[in-house]
Amino acid sequence: MSESSSPPRALQQSGIFSSRVIEDIQTKAESGIYQIRGYGTLRERRWATFDDLTFLPCSLTRIPLEGYREKCSTKTVLGTRFAEKPIELDIPIMITGMSWGALSYNAKVALAKGASEIGSSNTTGDGGMLAAEREHSKTLIYEVLPSRYGINVHHMQMSDGIELTIGQGAKPGTGGLLLETKVSDAISKQRELPVGVDQRSPARHPDMLGPDDMVIKIEELREATNWQVPIFVKLGASRVYDDVKLAAKAGADVVVVDGMEGGTGASPAIFQDHTGIPTLAAVCEARAALEDMGLYGKVQLIIAGGIRDGVDAAKAMALGADAIYIGTAALIALNCNRPLYVDDYHKLGTEPHFCHHCHTGQCPVGVTTQDPELMKRLPIDEAAERVTNLLRAMTLEIQMLARSCGKSDVHHLEPEDMAALTPEASVICKVPLAGTRRVWGS
Amino acid sequence: MAELICEERTIREINADIRRLLKEGEAITVRSPGARHNLGVALLASGEVVFDGSVGYYCAGLMDGATVRIKGSAGWGLAESMLSGEVIVEGNAGNSAGAAIRGGALVVQGDSGARTGVSMKNGLIIVSGSCGYMSGFMGQGGKMIIGGDTAEAFGDSMYETICFVGGEIADLGNDAILAESSDEDKQFLDTSLARYLPASLRANLPDAAGFKKVVSGRKLWNFKKSEWKTWEQAL
Repeated sequence: MSESSSPPRALQQSGIFSSRVIEDIQTKAESGIYQIRGYGTLRERRWATFDDLTFLPCSLTRIPLEGYREKCSTKTVLGTRFAEKPIELDIPIMITGMSWGALSYNAKVALAKGASEIGSSNTTGDGGMLAAEREHSKTLIYEVLPSRYGINVHHMQMSDGIELTIGQGAKPGTGGLLLETKVSDAISKQRELPVGVDQRSPARHPDMLGPDDMVIKIEELREATNWQVPIFVKLGASRVYDDVKLAAKAGADVVVVDGMEGGTGASPAIFQDHTGIPTLAAVCEARAALEDMGLYGKVQLIIAGGIRDGVDAAKAMALGADAIYIGTAALIALNCNRPLYVDDYHKLGTEPHFCHHCHTGQCPVGVTTQDPELMKRLPIDEAAERVTNLLRAMTLEIQMLARSCGKSDVHHLEPEDMAALTPEASVICKVPLAGTRRVWGS
Repeated sequence: MAELICEERTIREINADIRRLLKEGEAITVRSPGARHNLGVALLASGEVVFDGSVGYYCAGLMDGATVRIKGSAGWGLAESMLSGEVIVEGNAGNSAGAAIRGGALVVQGDSGARTGVSMKNGLIIVSGSCGYMSGFMGQGGKMIIGGDTAEAFGDSMYETICFVGGEIADLGNDAILAESSDEDKQFLDTSLARYLPASLRANLPDAAGFKKVVSGRKLWNFKKSEWKTWEQAL
């Protein structure tokens, strides 16, 4: 038998040194530095997620509400602990903090308009407040971040809530990046930085370190806003149980926990893939912390990090969240990863649905860029309408699930409304594994 | 001159009174501040406020426009995020004095702690004495004058803050370098020190020519250009 007619050899690749690992090693061998990118973790999911839970709608043991008719309240109130003016929203889905700099002007304004149209809120981000986002936000949360770019007490006083950001789910324990192509003239002026630097934000606040200082810092923020608005404390999900207790003890009205699936405009890839704990685990730890302090229901809990739809949101709420932040999902609504201007995706070496090149500033659809020409590809009003539509659809999804579980208020969803599909989810969420009546690990 | 007594009053009550009196155009002396935290936060009108004793954390924080004098020492975060105005401490200041200020002038007649002027974006900080570890860290703009010595890691990772040091520099931080002072720098030092420090303190300092100038070496401003193409195509 000739060699040419023999069957092809079965190629076998190392399970350790996969193509992706080989490319990573060789890229670092060329550059001598860690890889940077945007978007969030690209790891294949091997941890428990909201997909490992399923709802248990009513049958005989409980009575459902009419799915498309009966009232199911979505009103959401945040900051009832100390603030004189708690935030009242029509829906429990909010837009998380994303900076003008990471995002284009058009994207920031579209998020503000889109959220306001449906009675939700918008959040500023690293770099301070845009006048247009204040103008178009019915409810605006002002973030106080370690960098303090653009910090302005007058803007704080114009806001409806203050968010003291300690960390972010995509990169807990480190600051953000804004690479040179995005530090444009306008962003440079806003952040008081030289044009074209690779801006690396600090990890720590400049004037406080631990939770003892934070008690005083929170009082300062209350003094600066005359005790009117709620003070949020935002945490990247790492030691969630202890961190939430410390934040609540320090006087937070609202604690935000951002899980490891959270997004970012630019960060070292290893942080996105290998730091923090998943959002599902984070919400369970956060609730336990507040319950153990007797503050569950008194300190509101916002959960963030890879929330994709109303199903994820409803599950997070059933596990204890009062409200949900979305970031990446809102950007996708704007047009992120949509198959438009495909040649420009190719120039970045990627394809629609695979793009995570926010860090380059060359976003083909005008969402994460400071390039005026690219930005024109995102007309504000059309983009705002898509944000409104997404928020509306997500809210309807939550309501449908809540009604099927017999709830007349989405905030009445509870762990008992769900079963776990994996032992891991049962252990983490303390709900029975489907097919058993047993909570694993208890 | 209006007088406020702090004893048995909450910080909220004290600050509300300070703000009200400032708006009414009164100069204010605050008695028995007792090193309490958050005194004089968010003072947004011009006018003079004197704290007749030491203050705690974040005194005159988030301020815009007032002139604050502290007849004692101050805790952490003095005048943090100030937009404009003047804050003068007759004693020492704790860590992070002048953190993230965007304008105005902060004058410490004694010594200041670690991270003085951290993340300052603009404005002026003068410390007549010495400053602590990592002062000037990530300074983005403005000027900082240290009359005495600095601790380690001075001026680490700065952008465009310009520092002047009259004493010894224990150690320069990452990317901080010494630079030649210009005639304009010397004139700035003479003018600023004459304006903000009493003669008795100026007598302890070298003349303008004796100050060392520290600026950013700008090597940390950007990752290497050669790597940029790598990140454009990053996984």
